[in-house]
Amino acid sequence: MASVHEQHEHAHHGPRSLPASLMTPPAVAAWRTRLLLVSAVFTVASLLFFVWTHEGRNHLLRAYLHGYMTCFGFAGGGLAFLMLQYVSGGKWGLLIRRPLEAMTRTLPLVAIMFLPIGLLMKHLYQWALYPTVQAELNARAHHWVTDEQALTAIDKIAMLSPVSVWIQSIVIFAILLTFMFLLNRWSVERDADPAAGTERSYDRWRTRFENLSGPGIFLYVVLLTAGSIDWIKSLDVTWYSSIYGLQFLVGQGYSVLALGILTVILLSRYEPMKTLLRTTEQHDLGKLAFAFTMLNIYLTFAEFLIIWSGNVPDEIPWYLNRIRGGWWVICTLDVACHWLIPFCLLLSRDIKRNKAKMIVLTCFMLFARCVDMFWLIEPNFRDAAANLHLAGNIGILAYITVPIAVISFWGWYFLGQLQLRPLVNTNDPHLEEMLEPEHAH
Amino acid sequence: MPPREGVYGMLAEFNTPSELVHATHEARLAGYRRMECYTPYPVEEAAEALHFHKTRVPLVCLLGGLMGVTTAFLMESWIAAISYPLNIAGRPLFSWPAFIIPAYEWTILFSGLSAAFGMIALNGLPQLYHPVFNAPNFRNGATTDKFFLCLEAADPKFSLADTRAFLEKFPAVSVVEVDH
Repeated sequence: MASVHEQHEHAHHGPRSLPASLMTPPAVAAWRTRLLLVSAVFTVASLLFFVWTHEGRNHLLRAYLHGYMTCFGFAGGGLAFLMLQYVSGGKWGLLIRRPLEAMTRTLPLVAIMFLPIGLLMKHLYQWALYPTVQAELNARAHHWVTDEQALTAIDKIAMLSPVSVWIQSIVIFAILLTFMFLLNRWSVERDADPAAGTERSYDRWRTRFENLSGPGIFLYVVLLTAGSIDWIKSLDVTWYSSIYGLQFLVGQGYSVLALGILTVILLSRYEPMKTLLRTTEQHDLGKLAFAFTMLNIYLTFAEFLIIWSGNVPDEIPWYLNRIRGGWWVICTLDVACHWLIPFCLLLSRDIKRNKAKMIVLTCFMLFARCVDMFWLIEPNFRDAAANLHLAGNIGILAYITVPIAVISFWGWYFLGQLQLRPLVNTNDPHLEEMLEPEHAH
Repeated sequence: MPPREGVYGMLAEFNTPSELVHATHEARLAGYRRMECYTPYPVEEAAEALHFHKTRVPLVCLLGGLMGVTTAFLMESWIAAISYPLNIAGRPLFSWPAFIIPAYEWTILFSGLSAAFGMIALNGLPQLYHPVFNAPNFRNGATTDKFFLCLEAADPKFSLADTRAFLEKFPAVSVVEVDH
């Protein structure tokens, strides 16, 4: 009853006023400290437990790749989502715009995070261990690699060789950083526009952002396809799937939305987000997350179904390695966590509109992304393919500690970027609508 | 069924939606529950004042979807494994991955149809007769530019004199009794 009365009072009092300070609340500093502590503890734990054995060190690097790719998902996916909301418009976009901008501004960090992978390439990728045609043929002669692996790697050498992957990675980050720089600078200039608040200013900036974002989204899809093939898919050099990049795109949308919703709900305990976050926009974001949950299983299952129907020896080992030998458990867990549970819960309108429940659900969705990434990465390696085991393979637990360390560190940096700017773009016509009282639909 | 007789309710006509919402809100505070707003276009505040938040359409839609997925999956399994088994490229007869897509389509189809027809049914449509149309001003105004509040006689708090007096407190254009 209390909330109903409040709504009525709002309805009578008209629009709410914008809080005096739009900066992040002081609590964010405490969250940062906590994240840094978590990161430090898990970094120390990872090094303590896993650095002593050969398989431990191997797993450290693989788990680091997991953490890197998850963080790249937040930064790159954040960029894609930022451009998406400029093209589509809508109040939900304005609400999460500044968190998305903060995610994109972590791209320089993510670019630096690529260095260990780039430098230690030959411990991860077979094509980096045998970088030339001659080396591949030699490895084949010694039976270090199978015939198929050698021949496919030679076939793909234009894309998958250390020099080529380095060039591709540099190009990917150069272009993404350019887009990040322009979108972030314009966003500040937009608020500082002397004509701010006029129709002309709104139109000018809207057009400007749209013109950059439209081509930007297309470019991002192309770059992500290249990046996901270079960094993850090429761990198994023999496999082909043209939908791989899109799957990552949707997975990134899934995690970026989960993180975005989590951020705004946590911030809404304090001003200014307390005023800015209405149930209506939270509901809209929840619906979008539902769409991404569905799209994600759609693409993933489509790939599986096509390969299952084809039943071609070139393609099916990738799945067999991920289903047999105990991987069935992870595979099932992946489907349940990534799709079944979020799907069933997000069907409910009440959950989408409930802050506490959405906090739990978005955290769970982020966890599900990590399970999925584990399932994508680990079975690529010969010791783990179709053979999930813990005995004599304690290093596999690095997939728990390292990603936590890496992602917490990234989160620390992300919140630092979030603190730099007001939490809302003020020169946007949607702001006025967001301050209107909402109706119980 | 024999025609019902007597008073259906008290109908107040307003010129603006805010007057209607105000009156509805007051009526609820005064203890009236069996009432309905009639407006020429959706007025969300009116629904809010009536405390009309929940409908059972989502439940009907969910049940439809579950029915769709179960029906399709069982049907496919029965056809492929029992009724007309065919060896297709040596795959098992019960090849569930292949059944998913049609089951998914049936889920969408059944839930879509249940949502649409469930909504119509829960709205009590098709309804060939409704007493409020007995009020001539309702027939003229309800779909163009007038806003109506009807306090129904089924409400325990309803009484001809008091309810009329209650509604006349508001700037209503008219307050009329509506017969069954």
